[in-house]
Amino acid sequence: MYDDDRDALAAEYVLGTLSADERDQAEALLAIDPGFAEIVRMWERRLGELNVMVEAVEPPPDVWNRIRAEVEGVTPQSAAEMQAATPALEESAPLTVPEAAPETAAVAPPEPAPEFELTPEPTPDVPSEPVLDLLSEQAPDLAAAPQDLDDTSVVAALASSLLAPEPQAEMPAPPETISPLIPPPVGRGADIVNLQRGVRRWRGVTVAMSALAAILAIYIAVEQFAPGLVPLGRQAPTAVAARPQPVGSRLVAVLQQEPTAPAFLLTLDPQNRTYTVRTVSATPEAGRSYELWLIASKNSAPRSLGLVGGNEFTTRPLPASFDVATMRGANYAISLEPAGGSPKGAPTGPILFTGKMVESVPGSPPPG
Amino acid sequence: MLMPTELVWLLGAVAKGDEAAFERLYDATRAKLYGVLLRILGRPALAEEVMQETYLKVWKMADQFDPAIASPITWMVAMARNRAIDIVRKRGDVSIEDEPEALEVASEAPPPLARREMTEELKRLLSCLGKLDPEKQRIVLLAYYSGWSRDQLAQKLDIPVNTIKTWLRRSLIEIRECMGN
Repeated sequence: MYDDDRDALAAEYVLGTLSADERDQAEALLAIDPGFAEIVRMWERRLGELNVMVEAVEPPPDVWNRIRAEVEGVTPQSAAEMQAATPALEESAPLTVPEAAPETAAVAPPEPAPEFELTPEPTPDVPSEPVLDLLSEQAPDLAAAPQDLDDTSVVAALASSLLAPEPQAEMPAPPETISPLIPPPVGRGADIVNLQRGVRRWRGVTVAMSALAAILAIYIAVEQFAPGLVPLGRQAPTAVAARPQPVGSRLVAVLQQEPTAPAFLLTLDPQNRTYTVRTVSATPEAGRSYELWLIASKNSAPRSLGLVGGNEFTTRPLPASFDVATMRGANYAISLEPAGGSPKGAPTGPILFTGKMVESVPGSPPPG
Repeated sequence: MLMPTELVWLLGAVAKGDEAAFERLYDATRAKLYGVLLRILGRPALAEEVMQETYLKVWKMADQFDPAIASPITWMVAMARNRAIDIVRKRGDVSIEDEPEALEVASEAPPPLARREMTEELKRLLSCLGKLDPEKQRIVLLAYYSGWSRDQLAQKLDIPVNTIKTWLRRSLIEIRECMGN
C-alpha cells in the first residue's frame, strides 16, 4: 500500500535509520509531496518528545559570534529572495520568484512585554494544571494507572541509561581550534579527511561542508514541447526554500506538473554511472507506458532512457553512449506512449512531464 | 525557563528581523540543540558547525514556523537532527570501533527525569514505548538518540540487519497506533 510505504519511510526518516540513498529520496519527496511532508511532521511530533530527555550542553560562546556574523545583513525576507534567485546553474531556467512566504502566524506579544528569564539550562516544559486535567479527561487510558506508571518509569530509566555515558569513556580532549565557518573551513583538514575516508562511495568527490544549502528547483515547461496539448497552460515553477541537502555530489531532477500531481524523480549517480527513476503516485492508463527521454539541447533529437513508472524505483546503468556531462546539462521529458514504448524512437504521445538536472551540492563550481 | 508560548512569540519577532529576539531565542535553546547534536555527531567542531547552520536557517525561515504544526523546540531540533544525520549517513557506515566515542561531557549519568518534569506528550510516548519488547525499545531509543544506522545497530547489538529492519518497522507502526493521532 502506498500510504504504508510513505508512513514507513517518514517514520524511519525521522528516527534516523534510513540509508544515505533512502534519505536522498525522502528529502526529494519532502520537496514535492505535501502529503508526505505532513506525515513526516506527525512523526517529528511523536518522536520529538524524546529530546526532552537529552542532556543540555553549553556550546562554546564563540558559536554565537559566528552565527551573529552570518546573520548580519540577512533579513528573513531578503533571504527568501536570495534563495529564489540562486538556482541559475544553466541559462534557460524560467524560474519565477516563489509566492510570498505564508504570513507569520498571528502571535500577539503578551501584554505587558514578558520578562524573559534566561537560564543556562532549559528544563522541560511543564504543562499548567488545567491542561493536565483536560488531557486526562480526553485520554482516560493514560490516566495514571499503576501499570502505565511502571511502563513509563521503566522506559524512562532505559532512556536515561542509554543517554548516560558508558563507564569506559574518557573525558574529551579540549575543543580543537575553530576557524570561522565563512570562508570555507580551510583549517579543518582533519574533519574533511576523516569524512572522505569513511565515505567509500564518493571517492574523489569533494565533500563540501558549505553553509549555503543548494536548492532543488522544480522546473516545468510543458509548452516548450507540446503547446496546447496540456490544458493547464504554463505552470509557474516553484522554488523550494533551502533544505538540508545531502553532502556530496548528487544530481536530481524532479519532473512534475503541479505540486500535488504525479511526479517522477530522476537521480543520477555519476560515480557509479547509474540512474534511478522514482515514481510518485503515477499510474499510466491501461495500454499505455511512460517513457523517459533525454534532450541534450534544443537542436538534438530526444534519446530514450527507457520505460519508467512500472515500479516505484527503477535503477539502470547508464548506456555507454550517455556521458555524465551531457546528462548533467540536459532536459528530461516523460511522454505517454503505447504500451511497450514509442515504436518510432521519438516521442509519439503527449509530453506530460519535463525537468532539468540540478546538482544538489556542487562538488565543483557550477558550469558556465 | 521559557514557556513554549514565549518561544513562539520570539520566533514571530525573529521573522520580522528582530536580532535581540533572535539572541534570546538562541540563549534559551542553544544548550538543548548542542546536546542533541553532540550526541549524534560526536565531535564538538562538527556540532558547532551544524549549530551555526541550524540557527541561520531558523533566522531565515522563522516566518515559515507554524505553531499549529509544531512547537518551536521540536521544529528547531528537527532541523538540527536532520542535518546531523545527513552528515553521519554520508560518512558511510563506519564500524563502531572506528567511530569516535560519543562525546561524554559529563562523567556522571544525567539525573533521571522526574515524572512531574515530563510533558504529557512525553509520558504518552514513553507509555507506548513501554508496550514494546525491551529489545525493540532499546533499538528505537538508540536509533533516535545516537543517530545510528541500521548497520551500526545490527553491529552494536549483534542482531542481523534484516531483523533490525523488521523490528524497526513493526515497532514504529505499534508506536503510531498506540499514540493515535
